[in-house]
Amino acid sequence: MLIPHPLLGLRDAQEFSYLGDASLLLRPDGMAENAAETFFPYVYLRENPAGLHRELWFHEQGDRSWLVVTRNTVTHEILGAELAGDVVARNRASRDGGDLA
Amino acid sequence: MPDLEPITALGSNAPRSLSSGSLTLEENAALALASVSLRRNAPKPSPFGLDLPGPGGWTGSQGVSAFWTGPGQWMIEGHHRADSDFAVEVATSCPGCSVTEQTDGFAAFEIRSSMGEKPILRLMEKLVNIDASRLSAGSATRTGLEHMSVFVIRRAPDRVAVLGMRSAAGSIWHALEVAILRLNAAAA
Amino acid sequence: MRYSAFRVLQEALRGHKGWRPLWRDPEPQAAYDTVIVGGGGHGLATAYYLANTFKQSRIAVLEKGWLGSGNIGRNTTIIRSNYLLPGNEPFYEFSMKLWENLEQEFNFNAMVSQRGVVNLFHTDGQRDAYRRRGNAAILAGADAELLERDALRAMIPFLNFDNARFPVKGGLLQRRGGTARHDGVAWGYARGADRAGVDLIQNCEVTGFRIENGTVKGVETSRGFIGAKKVGVAVAGSTSRVMAQAGMGQLPIESHVLQAFVSEGLKPTIPGVITFGAGHFYISQSDKGGLVFGGDIDGYNSYAQRGNLPTVEDVAEGGMAVMPMIGRARLLRMWGGIMDMSMDGSPIIDRTPIDGLYLNSGWCYGGFKATPASGYAFAHLLATDRPHETAGAYRLDRFQRGTVIDEKGAGAQPNLH
Repeated sequence: MLIPHPLLGLRDAQEFSYLGDASLLLRPDGMAENAAETFFPYVYLRENPAGLHRELWFHEQGDRSWLVVTRNTVTHEILGAELAGDVVARNRASRDGGDLA
Repeated sequence: MPDLEPITALGSNAPRSLSSGSLTLEENAALALASVSLRRNAPKPSPFGLDLPGPGGWTGSQGVSAFWTGPGQWMIEGHHRADSDFAVEVATSCPGCSVTEQTDGFAAFEIRSSMGEKPILRLMEKLVNIDASRLSAGSATRTGLEHMSVFVIRRAPDRVAVLGMRSAAGSIWHALEVAILRLNAAAA
Repeated sequence: MRYSAFRVLQEALRGHKGWRPLWRDPEPQAAYDTVIVGGGGHGLATAYYLANTFKQSRIAVLEKGWLGSGNIGRNTTIIRSNYLLPGNEPFYEFSMKLWENLEQEFNFNAMVSQRGVVNLFHTDGQRDAYRRRGNAAILAGADAELLERDALRAMIPFLNFDNARFPVKGGLLQRRGGTARHDGVAWGYARGADRAGVDLIQNCEVTGFRIENGTVKGVETSRGFIGAKKVGVAVAGSTSRVMAQAGMGQLPIESHVLQAFVSEGLKPTIPGVITFGAGHFYISQSDKGGLVFGGDIDGYNSYAQRGNLPTVEDVAEGGMAVMPMIGRARLLRMWGGIMDMSMDGSPIIDRTPIDGLYLNSGWCYGGFKATPASGYAFAHLLATDRPHETAGAYRLDRFQRGTVIDEKGAGAQPNLH
């Protein structure tokens, strides 16, 4: 698989290490009253879709960026990649708006 | 005082070198390195007058050069300055940036071709999973080489440098040596 | 269908025209007491024990493709019980005991071959860890022997003992471990279940669950609605897809692809199963002579039954590091299967919050060796509503309760288990 790095162009997936579902960017507040209830699904539960999946890849043998890659888990087709930092900034900007869109 | 003698990353008193066919491989023990990282919202500095390059770029002039290592991060190379306190010089010319001494963290290997770029391209095709023809002179990128993380710098059409972890210097040398010898054996 | 030497002779003379299918191909009935979703190794074993051992009746197995078309038909056939943790080891040893009696039990040749499994170690620290795991296995009634270098060299002289990076210092041997004929296991269980009256319904995909007031009433399928008092789901890599139809779309499971490989047939060279401890590589030789081997999962979520080349390269490098002699063997075939990787690397055999719906999943890439015990324990749960004594730790809620069974200590990172 080749991952279209937003800064460096197409790069071999071998240079990356894989973390998993991009919902891991939405870390709950560890200081909140209900932290135990919110951290259980955050840490352990996954949607595990057959089809489009937004997921975190780390460019370990590269520029050390975290990317959010959109990939089809049935065909391995990669539809796009963006810097996770950009996704987080966008989430912050529209925090009231909600999720990862 | 005990009589201490400096040794190179490969463990000898003098840098190792190898010549085979049109290619020369040389351990570059004199390369000083310092990394520069921007603080949040800080302006881009220009150490030693260098215009720091964008993603995937390398630039050099007058004994110093720089390559992009990540967003807001560069590595500065001081040629023939490994025995100096290079990081302090870099820090002075990069006010407000985070500068870290890197000289002893890496081992550098320079590969030259006496027959233009073709042998360099063929060697890179054997060694790294990057499109060699697009890594033109003035490019630098980090990638994997036999499971080791390395920087590959195309200093000129007929010159490429490989920078890797100093602790893996022997393995990197072995990988480069084997690839060069096999390439020339296949060509012969 | 029964086999005998006389029958083989008779059929040889009649042009082999008298052989009949091993099981019926029944139309689904309107309702069953128990419906098992998934006609793979675990589903078929569950149906077999449910009917034969727990004397239940009105049972159906629903399979979207053909019986044994998933991971039971695409693994590296290794059986062993050399685990460390108390939640795991008794279960896998129970499975090993079932393997040892399997062919007598269902009267079918599953080619169970206890040719030994040896895990190589390459450092002193790894020797200590293996010794500990061997001791844990012995405490649970299994067998384990720690072989030092010389004893190992006498047994497997062709290993690369003096590899500069990964010198072989010894190995942990389980003599009772070995291999089994994967398809034969599925066929034996299928025939045994069919004979006991279980309806094995192929080309029947579950498309939904009928749930009323928190109780399951049956399943919608590509062949119509089938009523059921109890539904057991054993669908490995498809777990999330199937359970999402019951409203349980969030599970501690990720699906990952694991590749396996077989070489051209060679003369007998490899005596048992050998695993490389410094990378991830395991190999045995089939009775036909092919080297059967594999390594890590590819490492990213996948529902494609094929992997990518970097993992092929990694597996080949592991093989070359431990036994360079296989370097000139040609690869014949490679394939991929979808693994239900759980968040702690251990399986789940439990009830669900929906009454009458039961889950058997999370086998990661160790499901083949567990087939008999998984089927037995799941049948026990379905029949009695209580977990089998060796499977009590495999609870669905253990992640929330903090009682994970993390054999590798890798944490909630499925691609590292």
